[in-house]
Amino acid sequence: MIIVHRLVRLLVVLLVVTFLSYALLNLLPGDPVTQILGLSATEEARAQLRAQLGLDQPLLVRYLDWLGGLATGDFGESYITRMPVAAELAERLPVTLELLVVAQLIALGLAVPVGVAAARRAGRALDQVLTALSFALLSTPVFVLGVVLILVFAVTWQVVPATGWTPITLDLGWNLTSVILPAVTLGCGQLAVYARLLRTDLIATLQEDYITLARALGLSPRRILWRHALRPSAITLVTAVGLNLGALIGGTVIIETLFGLPGVGRLIVDSIFSRDYLTVQGGVVLISVGYVAVNFAVDLVYAAVDPRIRRA
Amino acid sequence: MKRWMTPTTRLLLALALATAGVLACSGQRPVAGPQSGAPPTGPTQGGRLVYGLSADANGFNPVTDQFAAQSYSMTGAIIEPLVSVDANGDWKPYLAESLTPNDKYDEWAIKVRSGVSFSDGISLTGDIVKANLDAQKASPLNAAVFVPVKSFELADPMTVTVKLNQPWVAFPYYLAAQIGMVVPPASLADPKAASLKPVGTGPFIFKEYVPDNRMVVTRNPRYWRQGLPYLDEIEFRILPDSQTRAQTLEAGGIDAMGTSRDEDLTKFGALKDAYTVHRAQGMAVSEYFFLLNTAVAPLDDVRVRRALAHAIDRKAVISTLRGGLTEPADGPWSKDSEWYSPGGYPDYDPAKAAALVKEVEAEKGPIRFELISTPDPNTMQGVELAQDMWRKAGIEASIKQADQADLINRAVTGAFSVTVWTQFSSQDPDGEYIWMHQGYAKPVGQISLNFSRLKDKQLSDALDVGRMNPDEAARKRAYATVQERLRDQVPYVFIDHLNTGAIVARTKVRGIGEHVLPDGAKGLPLTGSPIPYHPFGQLWLSER
Repeated sequence: MIIVHRLVRLLVVLLVVTFLSYALLNLLPGDPVTQILGLSATEEARAQLRAQLGLDQPLLVRYLDWLGGLATGDFGESYITRMPVAAELAERLPVTLELLVVAQLIALGLAVPVGVAAARRAGRALDQVLTALSFALLSTPVFVLGVVLILVFAVTWQVVPATGWTPITLDLGWNLTSVILPAVTLGCGQLAVYARLLRTDLIATLQEDYITLARALGLSPRRILWRHALRPSAITLVTAVGLNLGALIGGTVIIETLFGLPGVGRLIVDSIFSRDYLTVQGGVVLISVGYVAVNFAVDLVYAAVDPRIRRA
Repeated sequence: MKRWMTPTTRLLLALALATAGVLACSGQRPVAGPQSGAPPTGPTQGGRLVYGLSADANGFNPVTDQFAAQSYSMTGAIIEPLVSVDANGDWKPYLAESLTPNDKYDEWAIKVRSGVSFSDGISLTGDIVKANLDAQKASPLNAAVFVPVKSFELADPMTVTVKLNQPWVAFPYYLAAQIGMVVPPASLADPKAASLKPVGTGPFIFKEYVPDNRMVVTRNPRYWRQGLPYLDEIEFRILPDSQTRAQTLEAGGIDAMGTSRDEDLTKFGALKDAYTVHRAQGMAVSEYFFLLNTAVAPLDDVRVRRALAHAIDRKAVISTLRGGLTEPADGPWSKDSEWYSPGGYPDYDPAKAAALVKEVEAEKGPIRFELISTPDPNTMQGVELAQDMWRKAGIEASIKQADQADLINRAVTGAFSVTVWTQFSSQDPDGEYIWMHQGYAKPVGQISLNFSRLKDKQLSDALDVGRMNPDEAARKRAYATVQERLRDQVPYVFIDHLNTGAIVARTKVRGIGEHVLPDGAKGLPLTGSPIPYHPFGQLWLSER
């Protein structure tokens, strides 16, 4: 039942998001025909192409046409490359997915020990240092962080390539080398957010009665922290992981351009600049579905993390 | 004095030398890559070049895809044009063996070079060239350029006759660009496939393309020019961010890159032992200017346009925006061009600007307009500088940001007053015909290729003479008139010749801008803007 409910919600979200993005994109000044034909095309040639692409039709007709195609799995064809949008997205998706997953793993992998360490020594020197570092990371824009990391790790130490992408199917080692710097850049901001959230929740949990009881029973502080306090404190963290997906996707747009990665974010931005409406629409659908799906998964994780939710 | 080599060190050194000697005599040498040992005296075969580009191409089919500088870099390694341009700026046959006009210059015979074949094995013939030219004429991309062409006819198996409806002296120059690039029949039959996998007669063959990431080309073993290319493989890597592109060059991730940033010219130019910097020059350089819409108020008054020009201190703009690296422009052609004619530009004179403004204001009221700019910081800085200079003269310009697509659309349809613009990099002045001739100026709301919409008979007549009169002295006089009329009517407020477009390469990369054409003439080093491009067939890698 919950799955049917979620699917209906997904459909509504898709309809609203795709219509709004289609309308907004079409309201943008600029003409895809000029982007395709260049400056020296005649008015006749432009009119002919406009008709050929269906751009002479009213907005609603075009949207419904596109929606009809989408219902049969047809995302349409890019105005610029004349390739099927679905194929273009499929080609780019693994890059963005890998970047997102590795960035999240780095952020979570570091945020948990940092958050726990800060909560355990709340108010002391280590907590203050970690807090300062978190705020420094939070306030550093990704494009600045990216440039600095390239300067240090690629230009000065030459331990990783500055830019470029090797697919995982081609060479795993090179793939990891090419993803590490962009993923660290993307994950750093999230790491700070997650560490701060976990620290705050852990400090609150550590003041609960059952923790006092555990202490009275003589359980070691380490056991209390990792076995009894961490799980109930992770609810906010899990929620943030799902909600932050949107921010992360926004970050990939910058990261993919900065590091020259051929991902979905860069495709969407390039398509906006060239007024390639259908490619942007395809990207919007992909992101919307991904966002809703991840947050659905987060709901399922709640139950695993906190038995009270499962029982309710 | 302390001895610098212990017996152990000497033993190790002797072993190392002996091993090196054995290896040297064994005949095992690297298959690819520049030769080691003594510094090479000339080009060496082999090696792989990684070349950083600022953007991806929209496709590689010269008939259906609009080419920018990066498209020419990638596609030009595979597909060649009928004509090229030499270092003096004169056109030279390339895939054509000759181009001969009739007495009136309203007919050109293109004799196709024999012994040339495409990488798919098909020989280049007159038939194929005709099919390509027909496809280009039918293509919506080039319809406006080929307006003077009546027909392409096959005179004999290796000769195509171009019949024109008017004399066209500079016609061959157009065949040095996208319009003159020749693809095999299979590419014409399947344009979509040709957009993704280009095939041509060029020194390299398509190997791999990952959109927004890289294109890889490998040596064409059947290339018609003996001994070329020198390189085994080139990877074009697409790195849109100019700063990380430069960092990748420093980190050794790429061997060469295109740039238009003055800081790259300064930084890499100072490191002469490690990098070479090749800058575009002459007619290949485009101009940066404010494009004025002469069909709308208040810019329809020539006094306002002159006031705008008088109020701009070009040297101050250049020193602020480009670190003083460029030259002020007073027309579409730079001083080092044979077509340049001096004098008459409304130079910086704030008093004159203020007087003109007062005169107009007394008749028509305050002068106000919208100034459109792309949102990038460098362009915005220039626009704000101009806004301030104009304000001091009594002119109110409000800045409106628009992205590239919006800005271009506004220029084409006339929905603007003043906008930043970069243009005019054709090798022959006739290349600017459609942008300046009154025949291409349409009312606001209609598509106009003459974006300023200036209808000036004298200017247009001079452009016609330049197009139709084969006498070089007459052409020079005509283009002097063009410059004179532009300076008098001011449809453009010129700022500078954008010669910050450059290729920066590690010193091991040799041959950039040093290519030789099939007839032995030196080719034009760099073409195009804002980031220039060049041929790759004669590039080679030295040891260092």
